[in-house]
Amino acid sequence: ADGGGGPALSAAPGRAQVFTAVVDTFLEKLVAAGSYQRFVSSYRCFYKLQPQLTRSIYDQFISQLQASIKEEIQEVKNEGNLEGLFSSLDKIVEEAKDREEPAWRPSGIPEEDVRSTMVPYFLKHRSYLRRVLREKEEENRKVAESVLMGRDRIAELEQLIQARQQAWQ
Amino acid sequence: MSVDPMAYETQFFGFTPQTCMLRVYIAFQDYLFEMMLVVEGVMLKKLNGIPDCKISPSQIRKCTEKFLLFMKEHFDKLFAKMEEVLLQLVLNIPKNVVLPEDRVQEQYPYSKEEFQALQDELQQLQQQCRAEAAAEQALRAELEEQKAVKAELEKILQCFDGLENICREHGAGNFKESFALLTQSSKKLQDVLKDVEEKSKRMKQHDQLM
Repeated sequence: ADGGGGPALSAAPGRAQVFTAVVDTFLEKLVAAGSYQRFVSSYRCFYKLQPQLTRSIYDQFISQLQASIKEEIQEVKNEGNLEGLFSSLDKIVEEAKDREEPAWRPSGIPEEDVRSTMVPYFLKHRSYLRRVLREKEEENRKVAESVLMGRDRIAELEQLIQARQQAWQ
Repeated sequence: MSVDPMAYETQFFGFTPQTCMLRVYIAFQDYLFEMMLVVEGVMLKKLNGIPDCKISPSQIRKCTEKFLLFMKEHFDKLFAKMEEVLLQLVLNIPKNVVLPEDRVQEQYPYSKEEFQALQDELQQLQQQCRAEAAAEQALRAELEEQKAVKAELEKILQCFDGLENICREHGAGNFKESFALLTQSSKKLQDVLKDVEEKSKRMKQHDQLM
């Protein structure tokens, strides 16, 4: 079912979701660690003097830190087109889900690896050449027949002429 | 800790996952330090405006260092945890997965020898095609020649047939015979002429000797 509404709880979370969730958790825990109590206990002298300002400074500090971190993450996502890549990878992984054996990995030797990439083109070329050869052979067979027939006809004509010549001797 | 170069992931993402994590770590850390400096700056500014302030800048600096130390510790631990999850679940390609661009590797696992055999076969096919093309040229050339020869021969036949028709039309049915006889008599005449010539030559010689 498409359209708005509830979250897709049935499907396993995609990489993009996990990514966002993990970053959010990091931030949450960091903010929890850097609590106001902790801040106050570090800056006790200032707090005694300016309690309200301390609160306001802390709030700004936390919100600015969170904003910067989120912005950085967004920049990384945009630069690397991570959203798109994550969704592609999710699809690729899903397609391979029934497969258990380890998949191919680059051997590190380009000359070895490039072979298989060229095979499909070579196979196509081979079937093309086979077809062209077959057609040419067939065509030539027919032309050869015509040539043989022509030779016979010429021999026939030569005989007729000889017969006429003799009649005129 | 074994270092997995994550080369296949790099091929897919266009960057090394670990490098990406490092970049993010440094950026986050920089923001943290920056924010702390801002905090310190605001406090110092405020204190500057207060006459007879009991709190020195170095005290504030000590507070900052205390807080920062604490934050950094948690930051590092939390980041390490985040990095681990991201490298394992998000920025990785499972072992059973081959990327679409590499599917050919599993579809056509040709060994060096098999590949060479395929190339050889292609070469041979190309040679055969060339041979057939040459054969075609030769055959068509002969056909052309035959056409010309046939035309000539047919013309000669027509000549003969034409003569026959003339004879028939003019009722000289024995023209052929007469022509044959004529050819024979002219030959005889030629022989006689030759005889006479010789005889006269001999007579002249004879005369000279006399």
